[in-house]
Amino acid sequence: MSADAAIQVSDLTYAYPRGPTALDRISFEAAVGESVGLIGPNGAGKTSLFLCLSGVIVPQARALRVGGLDLHDPAQRRQLPSHVGVVFQNSDDQLFNATVFDDVAFGPLNLGLPPDEVRRRTAEALTAVALTGLEERPPFHLSGGEKRRVALAGVLAMRPGVLLLDEPSSHLDPRGRREFIRLLTGLPGTKIIASHDLELVLQTCPRVLLLDGGRLIADGPAGTILADESLMEQHGLETPYSLRGTARP
Amino acid sequence: MPVPSLAPAVTGGGFSFLPMTLVFTPPPRTVSPLSRLDPRWKLAAIILAGLVTAVVHTPRGAVTALAGALMLSVLGRLPWRWCVLRLAPVLLFVAVFAVPVIFFPTYAGPMWQFGSATFSVSGAETALVLLCKAAALVLLALVVLATAPLDALLKAAHALYFPGLLVQLALLSYRYLFVLADELGRLRIAVRVRGYRNRANLHSYRTIGAVTGALLVRGWERGERVGHAMRCRGFDGRFRSLSEFRTTGADVLMFFVVTGGTVAVCVLDCTR
Repeated sequence: MSADAAIQVSDLTYAYPRGPTALDRISFEAAVGESVGLIGPNGAGKTSLFLCLSGVIVPQARALRVGGLDLHDPAQRRQLPSHVGVVFQNSDDQLFNATVFDDVAFGPLNLGLPPDEVRRRTAEALTAVALTGLEERPPFHLSGGEKRRVALAGVLAMRPGVLLLDEPSSHLDPRGRREFIRLLTGLPGTKIIASHDLELVLQTCPRVLLLDGGRLIADGPAGTILADESLMEQHGLETPYSLRGTARP
Repeated sequence: MPVPSLAPAVTGGGFSFLPMTLVFTPPPRTVSPLSRLDPRWKLAAIILAGLVTAVVHTPRGAVTALAGALMLSVLGRLPWRWCVLRLAPVLLFVAVFAVPVIFFPTYAGPMWQFGSATFSVSGAETALVLLCKAAALVLLALVVLATAPLDALLKAAHALYFPGLLVQLALLSYRYLFVLADELGRLRIAVRVRGYRNRANLHSYRTIGAVTGALLVRGWERGERVGHAMRCRGFDGRFRSLSEFRTTGADVLMFFVVTGGTVAVCVLDCTR
């Protein structure tokens, strides 16, 4: 295992209480600054993997390090929110404050930062997602794309080294999707992007992990894996339109 | 995503149950002398007024309390239609219990005779007290809601040493009421497009039960996801806020004027 990897996962297994095995001996690494796509059919274990990497659920694993923190150690796991940011599939799950400003400031306040620093980070994060001026708006008055950007701002305000994005393009119209992709590609840090939107994965991630039934099926260059029509079909996916007919025999 | 309503919406805010629709909008934000005040002083003064209003027991005290609440609502420039739409159901509910007291007196005392009907003066006084107190309490609550954003009010409540857990519960409930109202709207559209209409039969009751159950399950699942999202952003159970309240002379003046009025209501109520 590489010592300078942002994410190190070895033999990660997780089963929900009285439920099926959600993740079965998953192993992979992601380098600092790398963008990795996480693809797979519904129920493949993508969201469960995110919950493990963000410390929300505690799996069994031979090694599990994220942002330099060992997640087996409860003390290090408590530091995780300042190292790992998660943008959830449904923005309404993430925007729980009464105003946009309060929501973006929620994370920095929890880090115990001084008020001036919280305000500075909140303003920077809102500028980064081009939502300056909406600070006092209640989240339920925003469009789907704006909600998604506020959710991202809330995570960026924590300045995490690792960003986990679950279905970032869902509920977005084509323009919102385009803007969000532009925003994503400009973000620094390590990114894991779980999505059914394989064109988005192709545009934003040079490398792809394919999960199915809780197992890691493939790990390799996005262009190669996504262009493999039989592999895609076998696991309930489709080759992106832009790659059709480009797979090598 | 906002769900299109199947019936005309009532403007002005609050819950309104109309035939086959549920409209939920936030309270109106009025611009008035009261809305410019520090929410902490305003909340403290109105809570005191509300407590005294709740315990007055004479018609004189109750009518004075109602007059005070009306003055505050005028000062707060509350939209009258918004107020009436919220006052009416409460007063109707209270009237169900208050009005019979007039016809079935339990106290000895003077009686009024109109034809064959007998009315108790003490019963009429009790009904008047109940209705005035209910109206005054609702008006005070509406003044608080309409003259400051709810999040600022809840932060002010926290600054006044209300438990952080209750403040968080109120903030989250307020936020997710809109989401659950949208969910209910989607469920109702889903049953309507499959031919469902409310009728007084077993199928309707079963459907309403199923919709309620689905809403509860979805609410619980959403609660789980919100909990995950909060923990991912370092939430440790403590309520934190950046709100900075500033006290001015006008805040202190308003507090003492309202509290003076509250004391006057107390004195009037206790003086026979």
